[in-house]
Amino acid sequence: MAADAKRPDGGRTPLVQLRGLTKSFGPVVAVRPLDLDIYAGDFFALLGPSGCGKTTLLRMIGGFTEPSGGTIAIDGVDVTRLGPEKRPTNMVFQGYGLFPHMTVRQNIGYGLRLARVAVAERAGRVERIMDLVRIAELAERRPDALSGGQAQRVALARALVMEPRVLLLDEPLAALDLKLRKQMQEELRRIHRQIGGTFVFVTHDQGEAMGLANRIAVMEAGSCVQEGGPEEIYRQPKTRFVSSFIGEANVLAGERRAGVVTLGAGAGFAEAGADGTVSVVVRPEDVRLDPGADAEIRLDGRLEDVVFLGPYTRYRVVLDSGEEVVVHAGDAAGQAVGERVAVGWRRDRQRLVQGS
Amino acid sequence: MRPRQAAMLAPAAAVFAVLFVAPFAFLFVVSFWRVKTFKLRPDFTFDNYADTFTKYLEPLVFTMAIGFAIATLTTALAFAFAYVIRFKAGRHGNALLVVTLVTLFGGYLVKIYAWKTILGTEGILNSALLALGLVREPLTIFIYNPGAVVVTLTHFLLPLAVLPIYGSLRGVRDITLEAARDLGARPARVFLDVVLPQCLPGVTAAFAFCFLIAAGDYVTPRYVGGPYTSMIGNFIEGQFSLKFDWPSGAAMAFTMLGACLACVAVSRALLGLARPR
Repeated sequence: MAADAKRPDGGRTPLVQLRGLTKSFGPVVAVRPLDLDIYAGDFFALLGPSGCGKTTLLRMIGGFTEPSGGTIAIDGVDVTRLGPEKRPTNMVFQGYGLFPHMTVRQNIGYGLRLARVAVAERAGRVERIMDLVRIAELAERRPDALSGGQAQRVALARALVMEPRVLLLDEPLAALDLKLRKQMQEELRRIHRQIGGTFVFVTHDQGEAMGLANRIAVMEAGSCVQEGGPEEIYRQPKTRFVSSFIGEANVLAGERRAGVVTLGAGAGFAEAGADGTVSVVVRPEDVRLDPGADAEIRLDGRLEDVVFLGPYTRYRVVLDSGEEVVVHAGDAAGQAVGERVAVGWRRDRQRLVQGS
Repeated sequence: MRPRQAAMLAPAAAVFAVLFVAPFAFLFVVSFWRVKTFKLRPDFTFDNYADTFTKYLEPLVFTMAIGFAIATLTTALAFAFAYVIRFKAGRHGNALLVVTLVTLFGGYLVKIYAWKTILGTEGILNSALLALGLVREPLTIFIYNPGAVVVTLTHFLLPLAVLPIYGSLRGVRDITLEAARDLGARPARVFLDVVLPQCLPGVTAAFAFCFLIAAGDYVTPRYVGGPYTSMIGNFIEGQFSLKFDWPSGAAMAFTMLGACLACVAVSRALLGLARPR
């Protein structure tokens, strides 16, 4: 997470610029007018629940779906009206889309053949990319003789061999089992480091987005609700949706009157801002059971459940207001289920978001 | 093979053996016999085959040619139709498919008579032309020629060709077409490199099917082909029914079978060129 919030390239112009990009399918708006910049070298995640428009957005960048409005520029060139065959992008499809009638080698070499790359050079590039993604021994197989993980690598190689300015990946790991997914995540990071390209991928898995990307755009109902580095998005979620979608979060309802926030659960504190409903967001690892004196916010409740999870223990506390607070604590405290307990946290650990 | 599987195969195998293999083998043997005063005499002579090539070479070649033309035309039309159903028609595709299947219910002879009614001297086509004042007297060019046979058989075979092609096109995933475009393929290349090779088995099957049925037909030429359009099937039928010369008929039938299989093999090889290199 070292490079998190920092732009990899200072003030240069973005490689991909989306301006007012929107897409409607009949009366259904899949993507609301949206601006987004993706810089060269980014490993960029479009993250959101299913149906949020992230795949439509990716397909518009790739040229598979025509936008209803707005523009897409890649490398300063407007590509909005160009088909996928004319864009400097290549896509790794969710279902891989390997050509079943071609061997692995033919699949990977197909794009170069179309581009009329000389036979010797083509063979060399295919060979190198197969080494990079570690599938050299599969070269003569047909796609139906590949496992899911292998097919994934072939699809990746087939796109990478074209040396695209932007590599697009549609839920690249969704079809793999957990172990393979972890392994492919590491592979993707290694490949990205090794070739230094620009990767844009779609995922509904926040762990995958955090684990791979240096920039994340969180999407909800066709809009990009927050864009930033993983740590920024985790620490400073702009909306309640973002806070609960990225990692686990406790969200408590409150109200602000004349600069004083009163939580429904009891505690209050001063924080300037507009009057109205607010939500306080606090991460389970920032909440303490039996908080010390440094915890400015303190609430009382009853311990409902304790689960030992190895690195930490998960406590579920039901407050007197009926709201729930989850606490992750490293050191096992002595409390038993059913006992009355106090929870608390430091004010600099919480986030206040407008609305409920 | 387990006894259970053998038991399941047995009924079909018995039917196949009794109704196909046995008569087939018998006719093959007979093709080397002779006939004397309308009686079969066992023998071992190649005269019947020699006669086939000397006396019936012209109808044989004509039959192969017209079969090839019909199969090519039908497969092309069927492909276009199946392609539209699969890729362009969206949710109307199923309706088109049902229409295709419904035309199968109209029998073979019904279709032949329908075309007689359309193409005949006093048929629908001529009536229309007369009514429109485009011609002053009925045209005779529509019927009783090879063209009428091609039209009739193509119409009859079309749904039978659409089905296998559609079946194989259904196995072509849209995502493979998108992947090809993504890698830089223009529409024509997508078709040649990705669609066609993937549905080749269906296309080959449709072509072989149409060719074999068209080349083996002898009813259509009799009704719409006129006196000068006789296919080899008409002559074979004559050998069996009029001349009672089974050995000649059998030899002609086996010669034709060989020619047909050779044509299909050549066509398959030609279509096979569409495979990727």
